[in-house]
Amino acid sequence: MDVRAHVSMVFHLDKCIGCHTCSIACKNIWTDRPGAEYMWWNNVETKPGTGFPTQWEDQETYKGGWKIKGDRQLALRSQSKAGGLFKLFYNPNQPGLDDYYEPFTYRYGDLFTAPAGEDQPTARPVSLITGEPIDIEAGPNWDDDLSGSPVYAENDPNLDALTPDEKQALFDVEAIAMMYLPRICNHCANPSCVAACPTGAIYKRGEDGIVLINQDGCRGWRACVAACPYKKTYFNWKSGKSEKCILCFPRLETGQPPACFHSCVGRIRYLGVLLYDADRLTELATAPKESLVEAQRALLLDPHDPAVIAGAEANGVTPEMIDSAQRSPVYKWVKEWQLALPLHAEFRTMPMLFYVPPLLPVAGRSGAGVYGHTPDGLFTSIERARMPLSYLASLFSAGNTKVVEEVMKKLLVVRLHNRAKTVGDVSDEALQRAFREAGLTAAEADDIYALTALSSVDERFVLPPLQREEAIEPDHEPELHKGMAGLGVTRRPVRGG
Amino acid sequence: MDAFLYVGLPYLSLTILVVGTIVRFRQAPFSVSSLSSQVLERKKLALGTVPWHLGILVLLAGHLVAFLVPDIWRSLTANHAFLLTVEVIGFAAAAMAAFGLGTLVYRRLVTARLQAVTNRMDLVVLGLLLVQVLVGISVALSARWGAQWSAGTTSPYLWSLLTFQPDLTYVADLPPSVRLHLGLAWLTFALIPFTRLIHGFSIPLGYLVRAPQQVIWATRRRLARDTARAGGVSPETSRRHFVKGLGGLFAAGVLMSVGVLDKLVGYFKGQRLERSEQVDLLEKKLERLRATSEEQALELERLEKDAILVAQLGQLDPRQGRYFIDYQMRPALAFKGADQLPILISAKCTHLGCTVASDVNDKGQILCPCHISYFDIKTGAPNPGAPAKAPLPRIGWLLKDTKGTVVMTQDGAGNRTWPEGEDAIAPDALDGLQVWIAKRFEEGA
Repeated sequence: MDVRAHVSMVFHLDKCIGCHTCSIACKNIWTDRPGAEYMWWNNVETKPGTGFPTQWEDQETYKGGWKIKGDRQLALRSQSKAGGLFKLFYNPNQPGLDDYYEPFTYRYGDLFTAPAGEDQPTARPVSLITGEPIDIEAGPNWDDDLSGSPVYAENDPNLDALTPDEKQALFDVEAIAMMYLPRICNHCANPSCVAACPTGAIYKRGEDGIVLINQDGCRGWRACVAACPYKKTYFNWKSGKSEKCILCFPRLETGQPPACFHSCVGRIRYLGVLLYDADRLTELATAPKESLVEAQRALLLDPHDPAVIAGAEANGVTPEMIDSAQRSPVYKWVKEWQLALPLHAEFRTMPMLFYVPPLLPVAGRSGAGVYGHTPDGLFTSIERARMPLSYLASLFSAGNTKVVEEVMKKLLVVRLHNRAKTVGDVSDEALQRAFREAGLTAAEADDIYALTALSSVDERFVLPPLQREEAIEPDHEPELHKGMAGLGVTRRPVRGG
Repeated sequence: MDAFLYVGLPYLSLTILVVGTIVRFRQAPFSVSSLSSQVLERKKLALGTVPWHLGILVLLAGHLVAFLVPDIWRSLTANHAFLLTVEVIGFAAAAMAAFGLGTLVYRRLVTARLQAVTNRMDLVVLGLLLVQVLVGISVALSARWGAQWSAGTTSPYLWSLLTFQPDLTYVADLPPSVRLHLGLAWLTFALIPFTRLIHGFSIPLGYLVRAPQQVIWATRRRLARDTARAGGVSPETSRRHFVKGLGGLFAAGVLMSVGVLDKLVGYFKGQRLERSEQVDLLEKKLERLRATSEEQALELERLEKDAILVAQLGQLDPRQGRYFIDYQMRPALAFKGADQLPILISAKCTHLGCTVASDVNDKGQILCPCHISYFDIKTGAPNPGAPAKAPLPRIGWLLKDTKGTVVMTQDGAGNRTWPEGEDAIAPDALDGLQVWIAKRFEEGA
């Protein structure tokens, strides 16, 4: 057993209102500079929708993630080792700028300097790359709230899992369902970007699992951009280096949650430590498609198990880290309650960001003007879901609808339980039956409700003390390190000639 | 000028290349990148960058092999089929590189988005490379079979630079296009550390052997545990191994530099010798000098003679030339003509000065193997389309009988005289006559 600690995340999608505050917080701190304008380390997508970059989930085009080769061997979908060297010059799987969008601003100055005339002055949009006026044709959230659109939503790759009837029902006018999907780098336990990097500039930090790109080591071969199935590494066209979400590690190291977490108005985000067994990674990442969610749950270890604690200590995991793991909200969502699921587990990268799938678009099917989740019908609203479970399964459980259905039942029973307490129109017998079917207890339902709706910032973000200042001591003289800029960059990063 | 372009510039640019590259990788690693612009424009890039890189890599590999192992390369290219294959591959690679580079230049000039990432040096580099490739192609076209002749011309030149015994004679006689190609190459080398070309030094071959996942640990505890799992070699031990290895390398380096320094100091200061050794050495030097002076005296005597013996006419052959040295100390060939009289012709190719082979083919021609020029032995004229344009000069001769009387002469232009009358030569005695070259037939004599 090779016990490692991982700073992991849960996004509760029922609470996401799609306001993009997280994206803006991230943009303002990290990517508001030349070359990075088009990057959105955090973005929010409307589902069904084509996402950012357009149709990133379509791995037939982008070739991201892993595939199974031969007898349960993992191989990158994007390249073989020797083949990777031939893709240095031109990588056919790398998205072009038009797959993202051409970054733009407006000539606001014209509003003030325009000569007096008949017409109102306008601020024309200009490209942030060429500086020339452009017609804006795409943006990072171009299909925001456009579920049902034949141009965008209907081209969502996840709809392939749906029957024609389900598709039609999903896009029924006046019954259109949609949800928001905020995405950051998943800091995968089995990252394909790391495996694809020809120079070895991408690495996973051993102590906390954060995946970073060494900007001094990166040579701009762009293999990571093609290999990441979530398209969360971006190529900086100005500096000639690839960049990605750094999980705000400078903030984490000073005891603050990442900016997108901190700014989230819906309080949908949870952050905590998971312990996992790195020895079983390859075995579990090669599990059959339908049991991939199960495999990822099996990867995670119980932080209260004495054997796990002993293994962690032997492995150099600090006591503070183990303590955080025991209080981790992420462990509760993912392993204890089994409510949070990895996004697109079929990419086999073992993402360490988990999503609680939304109940609302599922339960909201109206028949004759009435919402479906009546206490008598119990789980009928799931059976007659407005957003088909197969769609959610395509997103969160590698197509296994049973996994999503279990989550939905649990989420629904938490509601029934609270309705019984506050409204009192649910019969005790029916409630007990629902608890049995969902495999949940009343105490657990209370905990889920509390962590969902009542949790404070300290309960949502259980940050481990990362102790980087101690960790760097073997390699750096702290007195000297003190003089370095925040990220250890001692020289202004400028594009080479 | 030649000394600067082909001795000074190479050393200067190679020094800049090595020092500049090391400094840039150490001091400004962030600035080293492929600087790909694929995200901004991809269609034209695919059309340009792939043929360019594949083409130039093949060409560079070919140049490098011919330079590194010229002898093996020469023996390989002696096989005509091999030579032809190499040349065809070379031409194909050059065509690909030129097409690719041309596309890249065009793309960079016409794509608006690329203007944001184009600086002056990018254009300089693109232009320089394009000119260099085109010059290279023109060399390949004008001086055919470069794969072969380079082994005897540019490779020794490069080796002479590498061994710090620069020898300009190899490049002095080369055609202007070859000299331009060499000069531009040195210029390009010097630009590498200051331009995007530096990405050529970051070819990630290590990817072929590294593990897929990379995890970096900062804590000491973890390192200790890792090494314990890896067979009980503690980090301290492995560090000790590393230090030891480094020490060994350092010691070897010191020894080598001591050796080199000793040679250098010895070279500039001269050796210190015992008195008896000095006497021996001086005597040996004297002996060598005497021998040299005797040789030169003989040579002078030979040159001062009115005529030099080439061979007996009977020894000459119509199909197999006989080499001799003319008054200019150049190689020359003697044949027997169809009229049983001698044919004397210079054997120094008028193209690049190679020695022409002595076998006569069915068309009465001899071959210069360097660039495949066929020369007619009677007129000296090269075949049409040959690299050599001027004919091989014919050499005048005398025929003497056994008593030493000159019975017949022919000058370089082919005018014959019979000092003793045409009848003085008996046809059956022809083979007994001696063939001489005469000073009076020399140019300017």
